[in-house]
Order: sequence, then C-alpha cells, then structure tokens
Amino acid sequence: MRAIVLVGALASAVFLFASASPAGAQAGDAQAGRAVYERKCALCHGEKGDGKGPGADLLDPRPRDFTTGIYKIRTTVNKTPTDRDLFDVITRGMPGTFMPAWDVLPEKDRWNLVAYLKAFAADKFKEAPKKQELPKEVASSPESIRRGKEMYEAIECNKCHGAEGRADGPSRPELKDEWGHPIRPANLTKRWTFRGGGGRAEIAMRLTTGVLGTPMPSFIDSVEKPDDIWHLANYLASLGPESPHYATLLTAEAVNGDIPADPVAEFWTRMAPQNIPLVGQVTIDPRNFNPSIDMVALRAAWNDKEVAFHVTWDDPTQSGADAAKKASPDVVSLQFPQKVAEGADRPYFLMGGDADAVYLLRWENGKGATEASANGPTRIVPLAGGEVTGQAAYANGQYRLVLKRPLVSKGPDRPTFQPAVFLPIAFQAWDGGAGETGAKMSLTSWYYLRLEEPQSSRRFVVPPVVAILTFAAMLLVVRVANRRA
Amino acid sequence: MRRALGVVLAAALVAGVALFVQRPDPVDAQGGGTVEVTVTYNGAPVVEKLKVNKDTEKCGTEAVIEKIVVGGNKGLANAVVSVPTAKGAPKMAKATVDQHGCKFVPHVTAMTPGDLELKNSDDILHNIHTYSTANPSINKAQPKFKKVMMEKFEKPEIIKLTCDVHSWMLGWVAVLPTPFFAVSDASGAAKIENVPAGKQTVEVWHETLGKQTKEVDVKAGQVVKVGFEMKK
Repeated sequence: MRAIVLVGALASAVFLFASASPAGAQAGDAQAGRAVYERKCALCHGEKGDGKGPGADLLDPRPRDFTTGIYKIRTTVNKTPTDRDLFDVITRGMPGTFMPAWDVLPEKDRWNLVAYLKAFAADKFKEAPKKQELPKEVASSPESIRRGKEMYEAIECNKCHGAEGRADGPSRPELKDEWGHPIRPANLTKRWTFRGGGGRAEIAMRLTTGVLGTPMPSFIDSVEKPDDIWHLANYLASLGPESPHYATLLTAEAVNGDIPADPVAEFWTRMAPQNIPLVGQVTIDPRNFNPSIDMVALRAAWNDKEVAFHVTWDDPTQSGADAAKKASPDVVSLQFPQKVAEGADRPYFLMGGDADAVYLLRWENGKGATEASANGPTRIVPLAGGEVTGQAAYANGQYRLVLKRPLVSKGPDRPTFQPAVFLPIAFQAWDGGAGETGAKMSLTSWYYLRLEEPQSSRRFVVPPVVAILTFAAMLLVVRVANRRA
Repeated sequence: MRRALGVVLAAALVAGVALFVQRPDPVDAQGGGTVEVTVTYNGAPVVEKLKVNKDTEKCGTEAVIEKIVVGGNKGLANAVVSVPTAKGAPKMAKATVDQHGCKFVPHVTAMTPGDLELKNSDDILHNIHTYSTANPSINKAQPKFKKVMMEKFEKPEIIKLTCDVHSWMLGWVAVLPTPFFAVSDASGAAKIENVPAGKQTVEVWHETLGKQTKEVDVKAGQVVKVGFEMKK
C-alpha cells in the first residue's frame, strides 16, 4: 500500500515537473533539429537557411533568411532573440504570412529546430539576448484608450497605419524592408493578422522593441511617459476584435418597409457583420499570392420587392480605371448560380465553367453597379437591362457598398431570390491600387445565403395562449377530482 | 608616514605628467602640417527628384535626393576626407545631425567614435533607421515632441541613415578612427589642419563614387595640397 502511495507521489511529481517545463526554454540539439528542418522547413527557407528554398519565389512576404540572424518578433533590448522567442514563432507561426503554426510537431523537435536555426547565424547569437522589460501594466479603461488615441495621433502612427488603423497611411507605398522588398504596414483593425500576436501584452512588446528588419521602429524612448506604451496597446486593442469570427452560413434579414440605399445609413450599423475570409486566386495565371483584400463583411436584408447586400471591405487605396496610367479600378463582385438547381450541384466556384455560367452582381469604382454572366474569369459578358443599383462610400481605407436588386428575375440569365432557400453565393474582390485585375483577384469558394422568413408575431402569442390553456385544463382536472372526492 | 605621503605625491605627479605627455595635442608645439584636398568628379551630377505626397508644409512638394553633387571647377561636394594613419584623441565636440525640411542636415557627417546628437526640428514624425554592421543598427521613432536624441557609435564604420516615413531621406555618418578629417564643400575643397608631420595616407570616401587613397608627406607648418579625381 505504502509503495503504491510512494510511486503515485513520484509519478505526480514527475508529471508536475514535466508540465512545468514548457514555461522554461529547453536546450535543443542542433543535429536533431537539422533532420526536422530538412523535412519541414527547407522547402521555403532553403537548405542553407538563406530563405531561398524552391518555394520562396512564390511567397510574399518572403521566407526569413536565417543567416542574417535578424528576427522580426523578439522580446529583447538588443537584436538577439531569446530561444523562447524563436520557439514561439515556430509554434504559433506568423499570422498573415505563409508561415504556418508548427504546434503539430513534438515540443522537443521545435526546441531542436531553435538550436539549428541559431547555428545558421552563430556569430549573431554570440551576443546574449537582453530581456526587454515592459513598463508596469495599465489595465484597459475608457481613459486609457482615450490617452492611447491621443498618443497615436501625437506620434503619428497614421503615417503608415492610417488615421483609423487600416494600413492606408501616406507612407504606405514607399515602405521597404531592410532588404529592399516592398512591405505593407499592419492593418491595426485586424489583430488576428499581427505577426507577433494580437494580445495587449504582445502589442505593447512590439511597440517597445519595434519589428526588426522592417520600417516599424521602437517607441519606448519616443512616447511621453513609459505608461503610454500600455495606453497605446489598449487603444490598438480597441480598434478591432482579436478574432474575426468568420461566418459559415450567411443570412439576409427580412424587413418591413424600405431598405436604405445609403451604405452609411444607421440601418446597416444596427446589423451584425458576417465576416467572410478571402484568399488569393492561385488556380490560374496570373496568380495572386499576396492578395490585398483578405476579408469582406456582409450585411443583407430583403423585403417584399427587393434584396440588398451591404458589403464592407478594407482597401488602402481608392483607385479608378485610368487607361493613361494603366491603372485598374477597385471592384467587388457577388456571384450566384444563374439557376438555383435542386440538390448540391453548383457551377465551378471560379466564376463558372464552360457549361455552367454564373451570375455576377458587380460594383466598380467609377462605373457603379452592373450585372454580368460569366463562364470563367476571362469570359465575362455584361447583362443588359438590369435593375441593379449600387451606392458606395470610401473613407479611411474602407469601402462600404449597398447593392440592390428586385427579388424576381427578368429572364433566364438571372436567379430569382426566394426566401428559406439555401442559395449558393461567392465573393471576389480586386484592389486596383495593388495592380489586381482580371484573374489576379482574391475570392471565396461557395457559401450559402438564406433569406430568413419574416418572423411573424405569432411566436409571441401562441406559446402564452398554450400555457394559459394548459393551466386552465389543469385547474379543471384538479377541481373535477376534488369534487369527486 | 611622511615618506609614504611623499611617495604618493611623487607617483601622482609622474602619472599626471605621463598622462599629459601621452595625450597628443593637435596644436602641438612641434606643429603639424595642413592638408588641403580638392575632390573633383568629371561627370554629370546625379540628383533624383520625387513628388512629395505628405507633410508638404514641412518637406516641400518636391524631394531632392543628391547622389552626386558637382560644383564649380568639377568640385565634388559631400566627400569625407581623412588621414586614417594619423592618430589623435577623439574630438571632444559632439557631432550633430538635424532632420530639417525632411532632409538630414548635413547630408554627410564625420565624427570620431562617441555620441551623435540627432535633432528633429521639423515638428513631424521621423524615424532614425540606420544601416550598420560594426555598431548596433537602430530604428527609433522620433516624434515631433522628441526634439533631441543621443545615439552612441563606438566603432569606426560608415553608417547609412534613412527614414521610413519619408523614404527619400538619406544621410551618412562616417565614424572615423582618426580626428583628422573634413567633409568637402560645394567646391570640392576640404582642409585638415594640424596633421602630425611625416608620411601619411589621405583617404576620400563618397557615397556613390567609393573610396580612394593617396600617400602624402606632411611637413610641420606647411601646407600640402593633394587632388583626387573620383570615378564611377
């Protein structure tokens, strides 16, 4: 009995020790790390660690060149990252880039990788990392957020990140990393794309240390008081959610009365956005490996006559077609099947195929709303005589658009919108300012849209009536029973 | 006791004299010579121009990037002239670079290892982003209310200064192993005084046209003239 207790205590001690160890860095074995590296990392980062793997040219941002010893994400005063910094990047990946999270690898493999990465720039790691301490944490509060906004304006974060944080600052087109490659500022309203994480402490650390190799400078000596780092972090965290909470099924709300055509009308802000991720089109040439538009937010409504789609998306440059400058316009399009088929058959997601055309509701900056039918990205035919109307607004790196169409179609090229049906829908977007045009776009696969049926007021009447009737029946039963007794 | 005090005093005296003697004074009684350098470039100036899209009230509407500035008589401005073979105490006066009109002023700064004062007299955000290898490179924001920052450059090397907010801003800081240096003026002239007498090497560095060296014989109290013709 005693022995069992002893063994149990020992086992739990070992367990405690083992589970405590992830907090501390482990010494990795570079040779063992090499084996993992060659299987998992070399394709992009190159066998020599120079960031020139066979896949590198397709990637933007480019994979890290480990021989420079320069790492974006660190928690140190000097350039040398800690082992834990490297381990965390391997584990979590670099959100918003092609670097995935490698938490699928055993922890030991990841520590071994850390040791191997350091060996690529052994001379750079001779200098020991000096831990960066953060100023004492300031909890988020309306006052702190207000102070953060004040600081944001005083230190001119807007120069790169834009007045409302959507990466549309005037210095944006000039930004380059230390190797001369163009680089984009972070969209501060999308914390889930922050390379080093979107938590408040992580944001405070990035503000403090800067992001090595990029234009993002260190701000610890450049705020009025050290506390301001936290006020700024609290303000940035208030600009958007930590996760986009992507929608899976899209719905259009039934409304009585008119639907406003104005995209900035209050009507639309009362409705919750349905966020949909967009990815670069990489199926056919020209492929788009670093798409500008990575998300659209949909709000939709319908009444007895028409259906309206309110689309919000971030685009750092408002651009229209300009033949002289070879500039392309900003475009967004909503895609539907021409006919809503019974069953699960849908046209090819990439703007239809030879035999199965799709119907597009398009809006183009400078041209407005149009309808088209398409049999692929290069075979788009405008539809004449439509009734689609569109109205857009652009401000601080963001478009808001309302597209409206009658529910009932005027011919075989257009679908009719019916309530309570799962209607396939897909999205495409082009940022003309980023040179996106034609097949170079960002898009989604098929989603389903459902026009919710009007919620009749019966639901407020029927259940109470049933409850009252039941209660009355019970009383009756009790009374009858009592009388008999 | 008295004897001990005497020893200490004597030691202090010796040490003081030794320090005094050891410290080479540029204005030495023995005298040094003056090196007058003329830097020329037999080619066209290279000046890039860029339309400014922000901060125009401070930066103007057109940014000028002066890669090669040629003055009268083909004189090449902004060349760093130094005598690396002549050793001496670091210059005491700190070097200063101002960010003014969205330009680094002066465009080229020469200094001995030590502090560099970075001023921002523009009342807008700049960020000092340096490219260096021997010294730690820095990327620090300097918002409008941060009028002065001090940075240490302890090792000799040539450091590029940039600003990511205003991509056209370009400056150079030459951290030199010798206090005997000058930067050529608009006519390509640079004068270095009190250079220790003897055989010395004169070095010229220009951001676009590279480096050249020449041997000179410096004589006390005399002026030695040397010309450099820089080539692409």
